[in-house]
Amino acid sequence: MAKAKAEKVPQQAVRKKKEKGIPEKYRLFLIALPFLVLVFIFSYLPLYGWRYAFYDYKPPLKLSQCDYVGFKWFTMLFRNKGWVTQIVNVLKNTFAMSGLGILVSVLPVAFAIFLSEIKCKWAKNLIQTLTTLPNFISWVIVYSVAFSLFSTTGMVNSVLTDLGVISAPISFLDSPDHVWLKMCLWGVWKGVGWSSIMYLAAISSCDQELYEAARVDGAGRFRLMWHITLPQLLPTYFVLLMLSVANILSNGMEQYYVFANAFNKDKIQVLDYYVYTISMGGGNTYSLGVAIGILKSIVSVTLLFIVNKISKKVRGESIV
Amino acid sequence: MKKRTARMVSLVLTLALCATGCGKKSDEGKETSATTNPTATQSASNDSTSSADTGATEGEQKYPEFLTVDVFANESNYEGIETGWFAKIVKDKFNMELNIISPNVSGGGDTLFTTRSAAGDLGDIVIIGCENDRLKDTVTAGLLYDMTDLVAGSETMSQYTEAIAKVKGLVGEDKVYAMPKTVSSQNAAEPSETTDLGFGAFIRWDYYQELGCPELNTLEDILPVMKQMQDAHPTSDSGNPAYAFSLFKDWDGNMMNLGEQPARMYGYNETGFVLHKVDGSDYDSIIDSDSIYVRGLKFFFEANQLGILDPESTTQNWDTLWNKYVDGAVMFSPWSWQGPSAYNTTENTEAGKGIKYVPIKDTQIISTGGSPAGVQVVIGIGSKAEDPQRMFDFIEWLYSPEGVLANCSPDSGAAGPEGLTWELVDGECKLTDFGKQAFANPDTVVPDEWGGGTWRDGASALNYKAVLDTDINPETGVSYSYKMWDSYISENSNPVDKSWSEKYGVDTMIELVMKDNNYVVEAGTSYIAPGESSDITALRNQCKSKIVDYSWRMCFAKDEAEFESLLTEMQETVKSLGYDDVLAYDMQCAQDKDAARAEAKNASK
Repeated sequence: MAKAKAEKVPQQAVRKKKEKGIPEKYRLFLIALPFLVLVFIFSYLPLYGWRYAFYDYKPPLKLSQCDYVGFKWFTMLFRNKGWVTQIVNVLKNTFAMSGLGILVSVLPVAFAIFLSEIKCKWAKNLIQTLTTLPNFISWVIVYSVAFSLFSTTGMVNSVLTDLGVISAPISFLDSPDHVWLKMCLWGVWKGVGWSSIMYLAAISSCDQELYEAARVDGAGRFRLMWHITLPQLLPTYFVLLMLSVANILSNGMEQYYVFANAFNKDKIQVLDYYVYTISMGGGNTYSLGVAIGILKSIVSVTLLFIVNKISKKVRGESIV
Repeated sequence: MKKRTARMVSLVLTLALCATGCGKKSDEGKETSATTNPTATQSASNDSTSSADTGATEGEQKYPEFLTVDVFANESNYEGIETGWFAKIVKDKFNMELNIISPNVSGGGDTLFTTRSAAGDLGDIVIIGCENDRLKDTVTAGLLYDMTDLVAGSETMSQYTEAIAKVKGLVGEDKVYAMPKTVSSQNAAEPSETTDLGFGAFIRWDYYQELGCPELNTLEDILPVMKQMQDAHPTSDSGNPAYAFSLFKDWDGNMMNLGEQPARMYGYNETGFVLHKVDGSDYDSIIDSDSIYVRGLKFFFEANQLGILDPESTTQNWDTLWNKYVDGAVMFSPWSWQGPSAYNTTENTEAGKGIKYVPIKDTQIISTGGSPAGVQVVIGIGSKAEDPQRMFDFIEWLYSPEGVLANCSPDSGAAGPEGLTWELVDGECKLTDFGKQAFANPDTVVPDEWGGGTWRDGASALNYKAVLDTDINPETGVSYSYKMWDSYISENSNPVDKSWSEKYGVDTMIELVMKDNNYVVEAGTSYIAPGESSDITALRNQCKSKIVDYSWRMCFAKDEAEFESLLTEMQETVKSLGYDDVLAYDMQCAQDKDAARAEAKNASK
């Protein structure tokens, strides 16, 4: 032991010398630098691409060979009734899907609470694994599963026809009815297990003394959940809720892209998918796509600040 | 602490396992490509032993360095290194292999073209379409190699003067950057097809005969006939449900592609949102209630009402549908290269089963006239190509008789390489036994000295017909296409063709439509619409996706009232999006195109 200590002393001396070389503040900065670089590359550098919105970009020409058109693409969105109706429709879908998503965001909380109440360890682990797995299945695969189950010749229709319940197949996938709800349910199936992980972590860090005290006071299992567990989860829940409100315009496009067809397009086209269709999915009007993308970012940032203000007022703490 | 390290170690190990799992997969990919390769390398070595006295193949002598050539092939349906018999010919002649890059396989429309052109290198050899100023833009962006001098110095290429003039016009410079596809020396005003026109009503012949070949006066007369057919034969060869009509959506563009097909039977072709008669006598805005396009939609709507339209139409793709045709699950096809190609195998036709053209009295089916200047697809050399001279030699070879024959598709068209699929016997071209077998069943195995593998897999994946295959081969005096050879016509007949010929008194569809005057020739021209402004493009894209979506919904509408209300809704929606602006532009293009056609017709007279 003594020998080890003796060896440590000169090392410490060396370290002190080094500290003299690079002051603490720079050292910390250098440690953070790689992450700053990452953020810069993936979050700020792409903003340079916004310049495409101001040109009449037409591949394969280089941007320098294209005409500068100013705000033409931005005004185009509002040039006539048809475009406005279309954008309103797209926004309606976006808000509906995000809204439903926010409504069902209580499900992971409930799920986490009930899951944590299961005392049988292997059953708990099994359920958690099974419910988390769908999160790792890509939407394309989810669609192919959905297709083999619900297409006109899929399993559900064949079984129902064979049982004599229906005479003509039901078109689950290619009908404009209840599209929002269906999409939301697919989302829940895929995401509930995954989203509950954060709440499970929060539950495991709950102060056990609170439970003991409540039990002494005669609280039953459901009382414990309602009065002890739930209040402790609420801060986490609110932060996530605020973030999802700020993110209301971005609900991704993969899910809607794979499920879209001529029959449900009017109900399924959300903003991200719309931008994709305009710029890449056959549209090739990249500049217009970028313009819409810019508008979306601006609205999202505004929403985030508004939500942050509300959060400050209501809960006394900000989220960003 | 120990536990934690143990956990860390196990985590690292799992990650490593995953990584090796991934690694293996890519290795497997390599292995399979390697296993398809041995045939090629083996045969190459065979070949080198056979030509041991000369030491090396023709290609190795001329081009000592072996190259892997990236081919951006807009039309190809295959991606990866070309293998098999065609690859061996290319290897022997040019000491290179072709790495096909195919936007069709990658999907995502133009995305692959855009990303590759943004990177500044499309490929060593570039095959692209040239609509909407694309060729000009590609040249402006510096992606193509100037091959003016090479073309001028080539006897094979310089004979296609009209084609050269066309590409010069497209670029707007006095330089040649590419050569057009399917050049031809035939008359622009005469049908250029061999035996069948591309479009028409192709119906299960055996079922049609069972019904006593009822006469069809107009398009809609097919419906009750098809209904009877489906009622009599509700299942396919494998026992799956069979339908009279089955559609797919892969090729929807300005409108629903299948909905447009009936228009082709009445001589209308598409220019944007205009369907116009190819002789310039009628112009339809597609969304008009009395347009030929809406008639097509109504046709499929009525089919659906009768229960003879496959409900899977909305979701399936070309491949799924093709397999249904192979299985006999679909009884009607609007294209000679779809239904008949898929179903009329030797086995089926010997059993009396087949899909054949059935005449409808009032139709005027589009026939494509010869086009000396080729079609709207071009082949060029990438500006970053390693060995432009060799690339040009290869392209030149594609336009030479030897190349035209070798660069054939596996089930129709040009006759394939001499000595393998055909030979000259007493001055007459005849398919060899192997050739007959291979064209009837493309999965026939090719002899080892030709590279092995199956005929189909080994065929050129470029999908680029340099010269029209009904043109006359100057070396043999007959067409490149074996289907027009006397020897083929006299030998090749089966119960289906026989009964069809007996009924109509002619041998081919071409003869029949000419006899009944059921065709109209779309004269080949070098006309290409000028590039449209990005405003029009943006408006068009909004409108066309609406039109396509509404069209599908109309075909599958519950009843007549819903059909009509969807039609009105579609008209209102697209008009509010700016349809009229696009239409005005398209109308102008259509008229210009027809003027060019009339000119070509007069010139050929």
